[in-house]
Amino acid sequence: MVPASRQWVLMFAIAAISVLPILWMAMGSLRPRQELFQYISLEWHLFVPVKWTLQNYAAIFVQTSKPLGLYIKNTLLVAVTVTALSLWFNSMAAFSFAKLQFRFRKIILPLFMSALVIPGEVTMVPTYLLVHQLGWVDSYTALIVPSVISVFSVFMLIQFFAEIPRELLEAGRIDGASWFGIYSRIAIPSSVPAMITLGLITFLGQWDSYLWPLVVINDETKQMLQVAIATFSNLQNTEWGQILAADTVCSVPIIILFLVLQKYYVQSIVSSGIKG
Amino acid sequence: MLPKGRAEQRRSLFYRKGVIRLKITSAYHKQEERAAALFIAPAIISLLLFTFYPMVKAFMTSFEDYNLISTNSSFVGLTNYVNLLKDPEFLRSLLHSLHFAVIVIPVQTALALSMALLVHRSSKISGFFRTTYFLPVVISMGVASTLFKLVYNKDFGLLNSVLKIFGLPPVAFLSDSHAAMYGIMLLGMWKAAGFFMIVFIAGLNNIPRSLYEAAEVDGATALQKFFKITLPLLRRTMTFVVVITTMDAIKISGPVFILTGGGPANSTTTAVYFIYKTAFQQMDMGYATAAAFILFVIVLIISLIQLRLFKTDVEY
Repeated sequence: MVPASRQWVLMFAIAAISVLPILWMAMGSLRPRQELFQYISLEWHLFVPVKWTLQNYAAIFVQTSKPLGLYIKNTLLVAVTVTALSLWFNSMAAFSFAKLQFRFRKIILPLFMSALVIPGEVTMVPTYLLVHQLGWVDSYTALIVPSVISVFSVFMLIQFFAEIPRELLEAGRIDGASWFGIYSRIAIPSSVPAMITLGLITFLGQWDSYLWPLVVINDETKQMLQVAIATFSNLQNTEWGQILAADTVCSVPIIILFLVLQKYYVQSIVSSGIKG
Repeated sequence: MLPKGRAEQRRSLFYRKGVIRLKITSAYHKQEERAAALFIAPAIISLLLFTFYPMVKAFMTSFEDYNLISTNSSFVGLTNYVNLLKDPEFLRSLLHSLHFAVIVIPVQTALALSMALLVHRSSKISGFFRTTYFLPVVISMGVASTLFKLVYNKDFGLLNSVLKIFGLPPVAFLSDSHAAMYGIMLLGMWKAAGFFMIVFIAGLNNIPRSLYEAAEVDGATALQKFFKITLPLLRRTMTFVVVITTMDAIKISGPVFILTGGGPANSTTTAVYFIYKTAFQQMDMGYATAAAFILFVIVLIISLIQLRLFKTDVEY
């Protein structure tokens, strides 16, 4: 192995590269405008503001031209709806594929899974045309409905449900429960960790989504967070302090969510990597 | 008399039970089928509508001259494909995507593996570094792109401040057409390396410790252990990482939108960005879908290679 001291230097160097831009962003958002471009050499104040201020935050939440609060509300609405519907419908499909016996299962399942190789970027144009025909442009229906079903989620949940013994479900049947009752009272409670993981992935995916909202939402008041921030940064007189503030507001909840649910998030990568 | 009667009784009882069971099972199966159909219906309908139908539609549109503004479409055969294969702008966009892939795949994979090797042990300190290395993954692409736009700023950016500390000349990462693509790559790797690090850690933790102990007894050096044990046993993980990185890399577009807008001088226009521009700025849907289809075929071929690799791996 590499000598221990060199290993430590490397570990800290990579940590610095990972974290310093984020720290620089958060600290930059707390600087007054004239200070942002002042400290560019290696010194304490490259990262720590001389004069702390919240004026950038005040600007993005109060200014009517950049109503960040509205974009956060829009994004939360879409992300939460997609996540809830996604967990429900994907888990029902996965339960059915994993545990129920029905005709054509052996044909439907591989066909279903084959959609995994079709990338969204490629179907984007015809999907847009479809959404356009349906009259969904500029509505959240266009953001929500096509995003609910995820083949990847179904795939992961099938593996999870497969481990529930069929006898347990049959016992529920004999006790007179319907299949929906068995799904909701036996299958779902026994797969809470998988549901948290998928919920987290779906929510983050929605929070991050950029290309699809850019394509289907033209009305500025309905826009999603990422598109809004990107638009701010392309304005003529870019107020960088405000952009950094918006970036920070957008990141802090996600970082906290990640730190709290880290175990589940990492687990999802591990299992998709192993089973993928 | 009695034994016979009892036997008959038993037989008829057995028979009756069988009938009842048959009736129950067929009703039971019918209910199960109905439940299954109801449960998968939303997923199937959604998939048909938003994945398979657009695929078929894309295939058809790609043979049409279909403009969204004039809203008329006419069949033009292979014209779109022929024109695309002669269109230097499209070919260059494919080349940019490939350029991105060719650099990012080896560099990012090596980086992710090194990071995994540094922090894969389960200790509090390793855990702390793992979390740190993973942070860029949870930062949204939109946020990261706007942030890096500033980080790359020639005069005040963090990156050039750091370059100056090491006595290096400043680089205009986004306005120099030779450097811009590397700016995109750097951002892409900053954001993704931590993700693949976790995948590698999972792979590393699956390698039995006893192998290393045995090698140590035999006096193997660290390098020998890495090349004779770690790398061969990581083959499955490595395949996964390389294939996923390849697919992501060829479809790269997110940071292009925000960081460079495809510029300067189209030097960062990737295939997906080209498709977006053709479809939603020039409204030329036929041409765009044909381009998307060419990209799809490229991605499909890579996916098939992926399946192949996984198959040989399972047999192995």
